[in-house]
Amino acid sequence: MKSLYLAIIGFFLIFSTPVLSQDDLLDMLDSEVVEEPEIVTATFKSTRIINGHSIERMVKRQLDFRINHRFGQLNEGTYSIFGLDNALINFSFEYGINDWLMVGIRRGTNKKVYDASTKLSIFRQTKGVKVMPVAISYYTDWSIKTLRGLNDLPDMKDAKWNEITPRFAYTHQLLIGRKFNEKLSLQLSPTYVHRNLVSVGEKNDILALGIGGRYKFIRRVALTWEVFYTNHVTKDNIYQYPIAIGFDIETGGHVFQLFFTNSRPMVEDGFIGETTSKWLDGGIYFGFNMSRVFTIGIGKHKE
Amino acid sequence: MKNILLIIAVLATGIITQINAQKYITKTGKIEIFSETPLFVIDGVNKKVASILNSANGDIVASTLIRSFRFEEALVEEHFNENYLEPNKFPKAIFKGKISNFEGVDLGKDGTYDITIVGKLTIHGQTRDIEETGKIIVENGKISASTQFNVSLKEYHIKIEKAYKKAIKDEIKLNVHFDYKFYR
Repeated sequence: MKSLYLAIIGFFLIFSTPVLSQDDLLDMLDSEVVEEPEIVTATFKSTRIINGHSIERMVKRQLDFRINHRFGQLNEGTYSIFGLDNALINFSFEYGINDWLMVGIRRGTNKKVYDASTKLSIFRQTKGVKVMPVAISYYTDWSIKTLRGLNDLPDMKDAKWNEITPRFAYTHQLLIGRKFNEKLSLQLSPTYVHRNLVSVGEKNDILALGIGGRYKFIRRVALTWEVFYTNHVTKDNIYQYPIAIGFDIETGGHVFQLFFTNSRPMVEDGFIGETTSKWLDGGIYFGFNMSRVFTIGIGKHKE
Repeated sequence: MKNILLIIAVLATGIITQINAQKYITKTGKIEIFSETPLFVIDGVNKKVASILNSANGDIVASTLIRSFRFEEALVEEHFNENYLEPNKFPKAIFKGKISNFEGVDLGKDGTYDITIVGKLTIHGQTRDIEETGKIIVENGKISASTQFNVSLKEYHIKIEKAYKKAIKDEIKLNVHFDYKFYR
């Protein structure tokens, strides 16, 4: 009888539910939670690589106030303190209407240009259950050079509409970027620039390919570089590829960009279409961009 | 006869244990984090915390992705992830523990029960023993648990640079709330 008793106890023990450990519960939890794709963030520290736009944008209610400086050429020597005396600025406000749409307005000293821009964040880079290897944004810009006497055009306040439109230029860019790891991000920027009025012999349209990236070597500092290959540069004409290299330094709400570039204009149709200085001739400008991000209308902390 | 009674008793105990081993789950548990200095407000919430409560013994486990925390200030969210919590290295925060005074809790009866939660909390790859008070509220058969406690960034090896030590406090307030559903 004892053996039957033991056999039944044994039978029961084999088929009863074992006591669950906390690790078992965690495993249960992992099997229940549906994994979502992980969106890659902070590919670049700000909305610019150096001169050109990066795939990054302002999210809803974020406002980016930027002041960009280009000093004169380093080859101006000590009299002009290597170009520091001769500064041009460009300041802009860029605002996130929602998480994928950013609009901006800008005013620059060079040719007294005003411009308005829109950037659409089309795809975010994702990894995990669903992989999108790159982030893709679209950027477009409409600029107006308001300088008096530009190309012998009449002053804007006296001009008819068809005497104002020659001052316009348009830019369209597809920004394709990838964050490879915490340190390295790269971006391709195929670009189309149209200038309504150009000098005799020049083409109105420019096709360009921007190649740029950043390498973050310590927590808040990154090395940045950018070059645009453009189809309007030839051996014989005055134009050069815009090339820039520098550092991004990020502190709390500010991003500072310090760099050297051979482009003085700061608007896309300017630095892509009108760069004439040569790196090898000391035609290098020191540039300093400052970006400060605000969030508009944060509510009070709710207890 | 005695043997048959013994067998029935053993089997019955087994069946009763089965019935009592009920588990409750949530996948939308909420954790709010808050810290304020004159320079910086860190105000964020994670609404995708998963947790299981084992009513057989009062064991609780919880797990969530660090990237699920959303902040009022987008920059705070970016720095939280890129500079401080490093979710690319330590994607999850995990809690494994139990309600130490679970015998006093009757999940079948409506009421508010004061509980003490004891266990191991793992954040940023560091595991620490914690013991905190909280409440279990049973209302109309629905079970929810809540607790508020502070976490020290230093204890979990979350490094704040010297330049920001005044801007970011070491103690962060956590406010946890889970509404459980019957699982199985």
